Amino acid sequence: MGNVMEPQSSIHTLQAEIDALKTQLEEANDTLDAIRTGQIDALVVKGDDGHALYTLRSADHTYRIFVEEMTEGAVTLNAAGIILFSNAQFAAMVRQPLSKVLGCPFIQFVAAADRPLFEQVLSAAWQDSAKREEVLLGDMESLPVQLSLKVLDFDGDKTLSMIITDLTQQKKTEEELKHKNEQLEALNNALLSSNHDLQQFASVASHDLQEPLRKIQVFSNFLMERSYHALTDSSKQYIDKIISASNRMKTLIVDILTYSRLSANDAQPGVVNLQRLVDEILEDFDLKIVEQHAVIDVGELPVVEGNRGQLRQVFYNLLSNALKFSTPGSKPYISVTAKPVKAVELGVALLNEEEYCHISIRDNGIGFDEKFAYAIFSLFEKLHHKSTFEGSGIGLAIAKKIIDKHHGLIIAKSAPGKGSEFSIILPLKQTNLR
Amino acid sequence: MTITRVVLVEDDPDDRDMFYSFFSSRKHLKLLPAMANGVELVEYLQNLGADEALPDLIILDQNMPMMNGRQTLAFLKANERFANIVAVIYSTYADSNLIIECKKLGAGMVAVKPITEEGYLKMMDNFLQLVRK
Repeated sequence: MGNVMEPQSSIHTLQAEIDALKTQLEEANDTLDAIRTGQIDALVVKGDDGHALYTLRSADHTYRIFVEEMTEGAVTLNAAGIILFSNAQFAAMVRQPLSKVLGCPFIQFVAAADRPLFEQVLSAAWQDSAKREEVLLGDMESLPVQLSLKVLDFDGDKTLSMIITDLTQQKKTEEELKHKNEQLEALNNALLSSNHDLQQFASVASHDLQEPLRKIQVFSNFLMERSYHALTDSSKQYIDKIISASNRMKTLIVDILTYSRLSANDAQPGVVNLQRLVDEILEDFDLKIVEQHAVIDVGELPVVEGNRGQLRQVFYNLLSNALKFSTPGSKPYISVTAKPVKAVELGVALLNEEEYCHISIRDNGIGFDEKFAYAIFSLFEKLHHKSTFEGSGIGLAIAKKIIDKHHGLIIAKSAPGKGSEFSIILPLKQTNLR
Repeated sequence: MTITRVVLVEDDPDDRDMFYSFFSSRKHLKLLPAMANGVELVEYLQNLGADEALPDLIILDQNMPMMNGRQTLAFLKANERFANIVAVIYSTYADSNLIIECKKLGAGMVAVKPITEEGYLKMMDNFLQLVRK
């Protein structure tokens, strides 16, 4: 290249020229290797009429490495659908050595059933340039893949490049997700219907139980009113027991009904002035308060959003308990106080921006062992013997359910003989929590 | 003193007996034959001739077969001829839903069935006050 031979050159110069040519050959071989392994993007070659720039088609080094390394298959097809280029990943997908893949029509790797679809997509891609479709590769152990097709134009020479994404994992995940969703839905339906049945049962049972119970009450009352004088002392005792047991049962049934109905209806929350609410309840307890010489201290209570009837029930039940479980021989002292709390101060359970109030109802009554602090909110849980304290054991369960429905918390603290404290943490607004 | 004509619509024989034992001897009350459910009452009322006197007070039990108290009340209030008769509901249980619904339909009162004689007498006094108004 460019060297001019002179006839009169000596062996020495000839030898030197041979060495120079050898070096040039080595350089040329290196260049070829570099081109083959993708290390070169362009060559500048000195020719007879100056330098010429030779760039390599699709030889962008970074992209070549990228295409080889990526987890997707990548192929380039010519207009006849023959594979001109394939990365190793695609060859692995179709379980063929790379050498057998090159030069083959791509369609032979597509599952027979998907071949008409592939041909459609292929011709559409040639026309519109970009397409996406899911097909199966291979017939025996078929592989779901997504094809992304794009026509590339190199100096008027068009090829179609295709990225092949293995969808096996995605399909598996989709399948699992679908399965899990179906399970969840079935469980949810079962839960809904069992909840409905339970409510239905509680409501029907309570209603229907009340009729025969009322008969027992009516006729034992008649016996009491009309024939009491004619009864022996032991018979009088029996009548008294029948009357008090049936009255207790009436309370139980009404409370179960109340409890079951709490699940059923969801009224829109209204504005509830807790101060006025507590004052009203204390009026109801007027007689009891006077009888027991009870002192009740009510601090400033906030206005909250909620169901007035339900919240009234909560305070009614708690205040009624505080009066009921008073220490024999001492005056009941009950305080109802409130202070504002921010959600963040309450810790993880209530992680939002809402503002809450902390209402405390404290008494100096008989109290209870703190290990029961959770159990007392369960249905029918009674810590005290029924002859000592009347009631159904549903009152606190009702209170808890109502507070739960108001997105709040109710906590009991106590020690035997030390009185008890019920803390209610209630959001001021319900609107954002529904 | 005017005589008040009363119909009790009640399927429970014990409750019917009790009612009659308390009130059949009252001079200013005329207890018409008791009806076992709303269907019987409707039939009775529709068979009354134009010249015959309608009852002044209809006491409806809520829980009855065929046609319950609430349904019977709805029929009465929708019927021009019977709409002005004082109709009351009495029931073993009366939750707020029932009370609100029956009041809307035009019940004069929704009462819980008493369990003592005293309770019955009071209830009847309340019903009769409605008739007099």
